[in-house]
Amino acid sequence: MSVNTWLATGNFNTTYKQEQKTFFTSLDRSVFTFFLLILFIWPLIFPLSNKYMLVIDNVLIAIVAVMGLNLVTGFAGLISIGHAAFVGIGAYTVASFCRTIGDTHVIITHFWPVMIILSGLVGAAFGGLIGLPALRLKHLYLAIATLSFQMIFQWVINFMSFFNQGQTISVGRVFWFTGKIGRKDHYLFWYFIILTVVVLLGFGIRNLLKTRYGRCLVAVRDNDRAADAMGMNPGLTKVYAFALAGFFAGVAGALHAYLYRGVGFESFTLHESIGYLAMAIVGGLGTLNGSFWGPVAIKYLDLGVENLSEILGHYTPGMNLATALKPFTFGLVIVLFLMFEPRGIANWWRIIKSYTKLWPFRY
Amino acid sequence: MSYFFQLVVSGIVVGSIYALAALGLVLVYKSSRVLNVAHGQLIAAGAFITYALTVMVGIPIFFSFIASMIITFFIGMLVERVFLRRLIGEPIISVIMVTIGLGSILDGLIYLTPFGTENFSFPAFLPQEPIALGGVSISWTQLVGVIITFLLIGGFSWFFKKSTVGISMRAVSDDQFGSMSVGISVPKVFGLAWATAGLSAAAAGCIIGNITGLNFDTLHAFGIVVLPVVILGGLDSILGAVVAGIIMGLIQQFASGYLDGNWGLNGTGEVLPYIILLFILLFKPHGLFGIHEIERV
Amino acid sequence: MKTKQLFLNALLVLAVMFAFTSPAFAGNVYKLGLSLAITGPTSDAGNPYSKGVEDYFKFANETGILGADKIDCTIRDDQYKTDITKRNFEDYLDQGIVLYLNYSTGSTLGLKKDFEEEEIAVIPASFHRGNLDGSNYIFLPVASYSEQVISMGEYVANNHKGETPKVALFLHPSAFGRGPLADTQAAVKAGLKIDIVEVVEHGKDLDNTAMLKRLMSKGVQYVISQTIQSPVATMLKDAQRLGLTSKTFGEKGKLTFLGAHYTGGNDLIALAGAATEGYHWICSYNLTSEKTEGTTKQLALAKKYGRDAKAANSHNYANGIMVAQVATEAIRRAKAAGLKVNKENLYKMLNGMNGAKAYHPYTTVGPVTYSKTDRAGVDMLQIYSVQNGTFKKVGSPMQSVYMKKIK
Repeated sequence: MSVNTWLATGNFNTTYKQEQKTFFTSLDRSVFTFFLLILFIWPLIFPLSNKYMLVIDNVLIAIVAVMGLNLVTGFAGLISIGHAAFVGIGAYTVASFCRTIGDTHVIITHFWPVMIILSGLVGAAFGGLIGLPALRLKHLYLAIATLSFQMIFQWVINFMSFFNQGQTISVGRVFWFTGKIGRKDHYLFWYFIILTVVVLLGFGIRNLLKTRYGRCLVAVRDNDRAADAMGMNPGLTKVYAFALAGFFAGVAGALHAYLYRGVGFESFTLHESIGYLAMAIVGGLGTLNGSFWGPVAIKYLDLGVENLSEILGHYTPGMNLATALKPFTFGLVIVLFLMFEPRGIANWWRIIKSYTKLWPFRY
Repeated sequence: MSYFFQLVVSGIVVGSIYALAALGLVLVYKSSRVLNVAHGQLIAAGAFITYALTVMVGIPIFFSFIASMIITFFIGMLVERVFLRRLIGEPIISVIMVTIGLGSILDGLIYLTPFGTENFSFPAFLPQEPIALGGVSISWTQLVGVIITFLLIGGFSWFFKKSTVGISMRAVSDDQFGSMSVGISVPKVFGLAWATAGLSAAAAGCIIGNITGLNFDTLHAFGIVVLPVVILGGLDSILGAVVAGIIMGLIQQFASGYLDGNWGLNGTGEVLPYIILLFILLFKPHGLFGIHEIERV
Repeated sequence: MKTKQLFLNALLVLAVMFAFTSPAFAGNVYKLGLSLAITGPTSDAGNPYSKGVEDYFKFANETGILGADKIDCTIRDDQYKTDITKRNFEDYLDQGIVLYLNYSTGSTLGLKKDFEEEEIAVIPASFHRGNLDGSNYIFLPVASYSEQVISMGEYVANNHKGETPKVALFLHPSAFGRGPLADTQAAVKAGLKIDIVEVVEHGKDLDNTAMLKRLMSKGVQYVISQTIQSPVATMLKDAQRLGLTSKTFGEKGKLTFLGAHYTGGNDLIALAGAATEGYHWICSYNLTSEKTEGTTKQLALAKKYGRDAKAANSHNYANGIMVAQVATEAIRRAKAAGLKVNKENLYKMLNGMNGAKAYHPYTTVGPVTYSKTDRAGVDMLQIYSVQNGTFKKVGSPMQSVYMKKIK
């Protein structure tokens, strides 16, 4: 390790402790802090319209959910086609409180951070429960087991009167130290909250992957029998991967409930589960920064296609092109990524990073 | 008692249609180890092609049925060549996702046609009067559907058991390197598997379309509805698909016949297959007829 | 990184705005927004609906109904997802819409609070009565589903011979389908002489034998449906196969099928063919199979914009035209009264559409009446039944008696 942490050019670790550090050089740390500052400050300088603020909030929530999915599918290699159902469990945790104590009760409006964490814990509990079949099932059979969970979740929500049979259950406006968050500041307020959650959970994952438990996940993914032989407990690891994913999904669900101020069953269908999987793949399975790229790319694609087809719509009257183009481009992007860049956008990021590090030398 | 028997008959009818829809998935999985989630879209495409040929071009329905099977045969082959060939040997998640992506692409293409959003129905070509036997009745459409199903399933079973191509397909599913070394062209076998799956999709599409009418949402949902059937049957067994299909058909009919409307339950026919599937998987992790790979966690 | 995406976004929006604001003309442009399901669930209804809205606004602009002023209505697909509807709504608000057209029951309920806070008048395509609970800004175009189902119940009660008729309800498993259940039960309590024996929520069934046989064993004679066409089509086909369909209304030992707005129309005949014979359908729109002045105009409009026969004859096309007509009329009245065309004044205009000022669009069987207490538009309902493959009128338009009693 070089003495001056600002001028360090490489990896000179001499102890394991050093290798577990989040930032290897001070430059890394300052760049990151600067970037974070920009993320928190820009909406105050360039105020955006509600629509785009909503879209960005939505992307951030998807990031939280996809981080969880990436843990279970990317790092632990267990395919989950029921992730939207876990997100739904988080949202419906908030919703069931609203049903029983009223949607403007002080617990909902003032103690919302508690509600969000609680939703995460409920999600984790369900995640662990649904993870149990993973003890015996593998590959496709496991994927279908999670699909079954998705279907059962949809049925329960749709037919139980406690959940208003899938109709919207409204959630009240929350309070901050400055008072009630009105319609005007709603999306901006939640931008800051969700961004904070993303940063916290992102650090959480980054640290997790440097611990024994995180490395267990990867080892079990690559070869569970070998992992077993090395003294890990693959069964426990799989269940706990599902529980962790459930926690992230639950938090995302609670945030979704608060952001949209209502919980309806349409937001947690199989189609959404597939969307999360697509985000994870396009971003890059098994990478942390892939969880950020994927949702941004997929949601931006959706918006871009909408805008594009509105422009094209002026030349092809009487036809709504967005209708056909949206599923088409969504499918095409998934297929193209799988065929030509299976490691996702995260791989481009890696290439750019290594290129700029070595510049002006090529390799 | 005739209520009970009617449920049994309806269950078998529905079940054999599930089996036919599931057949396409099994065919693909059997040789190339790919679970095709886009099968529902192929089913819909087959039904729409038949309709277009019959009504818009004016070919008699029997010939357009054959023609659409031929067309989907080549669509299946094309799909394999363009999308799946590159993914041989990729992890399972990629292969599932690529068929999901494929389904989405097909969705987009179908939405470009009027079939994406509008409703149609096949011109009636069978007698409308039902066949009644001691209080149990079955329509001609259903009867013909069941007959075609069993003909196709019987044909495919024979094909896999006896014909050279069928045996080479089984060989590929068993050991790709081994079959390559004895001179079997593995890519050709994969292409053929997808082509036959396309063919069976067209058949399933026509039969389902005759029963429910042609509505894209209803038709492509079958790709997901048959998943529990395929898994229950064990993914690579044609016999398993038939047995599981009929089991599922019976479960659905009995659920909606005896559970719905009582104790405030409704729509149980939709969810029960999944619940039963979960239970069965807990005890038999490879389905009822799947091959057991000896491997423990 | 997100900032970069954002700037790109903002640039794109700017580019679009510049591209289409350039052609200058004298009048004002009033912005409207419609978000509906052109794909996904219920798209078979949403598709002709969007065509109706689009065509009528084009027609209004070209024929100068608003003088030199124009209406600019953005239409977007939300795939029946509340999340996307909300995004579209926020976008429309940013664009400064004066009136919002919505579609699905789920999203109308989900966004109800936003409509209240924004104080913007909304006309949804969902006729769910729950839309009106605790809301002042949602205007249903026609009588609610509850009113339709209760009217059918009344029709059954009036035309049934013998003791209290036994009725089953066949519902879509969603807010849209279940909406009328409680109201119908309330109407029965208030004295409506029918006996609701069973409430069925259907799934994606290939075969309804079990259900139909069960209904028969319970002595049901009438099945009232509140869902979309394809499940009804499957049910009708199965009933025909089992020989359970009645030849005449209320035939003993058989089932007579009735259904609300979204169960019927030419699409149902397209799906179920001859099995629809004798199906009774309630609806507030004029149908092209019964030629009137209104349907002639509807067909002319469709022809003008090159719509195929299927869209032109769809009652959902009429539905879309009607909503666009009401919106245009509200703007016209605001202009005529010398008021500024904005959210508040349009809301006032809609609320004032009653009495002598009731508005009669050419697509409906009765006038649109809105007031502070009644925000369901056309109160008249017409029963149609299928005869020889087309929907024919049965009797004259009627109005529900029990709906007033349970309010």
